[in-house]
Amino acid sequence: MAVQIVMDPTGDTRHEFTTGDATAVAKAERRFKQLTGAGFTAAVRTAEGHSKRIRDFDPAAEETIFFPRLQGG
Amino acid sequence: MSSDCLLTAATFSVLLCALLTAAFDLVELRTRRDSRIASQRSKPEQKADALLNEWLSPEQRATLESYGHFEVRGSHTGKCYRIRRGRSMNIDEVSKEGDLGPVWCFGPIAQLPLGDVMLAQKLALETDEQATLAVANRSRRALLSTHLDFRRS
Repeated sequence: MAVQIVMDPTGDTRHEFTTGDATAVAKAERRFKQLTGAGFTAAVRTAEGHSKRIRDFDPAAEETIFFPRLQGG
Repeated sequence: MSSDCLLTAATFSVLLCALLTAAFDLVELRTRRDSRIASQRSKPEQKADALLNEWLSPEQRATLESYGHFEVRGSHTGKCYRIRRGRSMNIDEVSKEGDLGPVWCFGPIAQLPLGDVMLAQKLALETDEQATLAVANRSRRALLSTHLDFRRS
């Protein structure tokens, strides 16, 4: 089971999908493209406390987190 | 005379009791109101705090718990940044010697709970430091700190 975590005003919204389910994976890929197209950045955890940005959908990623576009404060 | 004094003392006691009761009621009302407000806004904040904790290392969690901040490494320069609890002006650049440098300010454009804001700041610096600092605002530390740093050096 993989999960896409999207930060939002409720804290976050989680979309779980089974990596062996082609339809679910395709849906997750569409969500990835929609979110990154809307300015979200996607990142995956590489080790505890460490992460890396991904620009393309990774169907093997167990956990992908999305945060909104940044602006200077 | 003494009966007048007694009457005055009794009146004073009654008034004092009434005042104390009113004060206690007021405190209780405020406590109830505060807890109601806290419970109304706590769910998103709690979720965001849980998410932040999930993505922090044990060391980062410990310093956040103890000191209200944690440190991350920039993906390009390897510089250390200290992210304090806050939404803006809450990121200090830390020199190799451990001195606090400029203050960086950036955050997500969306209205997010505090934990999400801090997690987005951490992820941004760890995954794409250059692009992040390109949109961030940089400020010198407060005049007092600068003055102290100058005197120390």
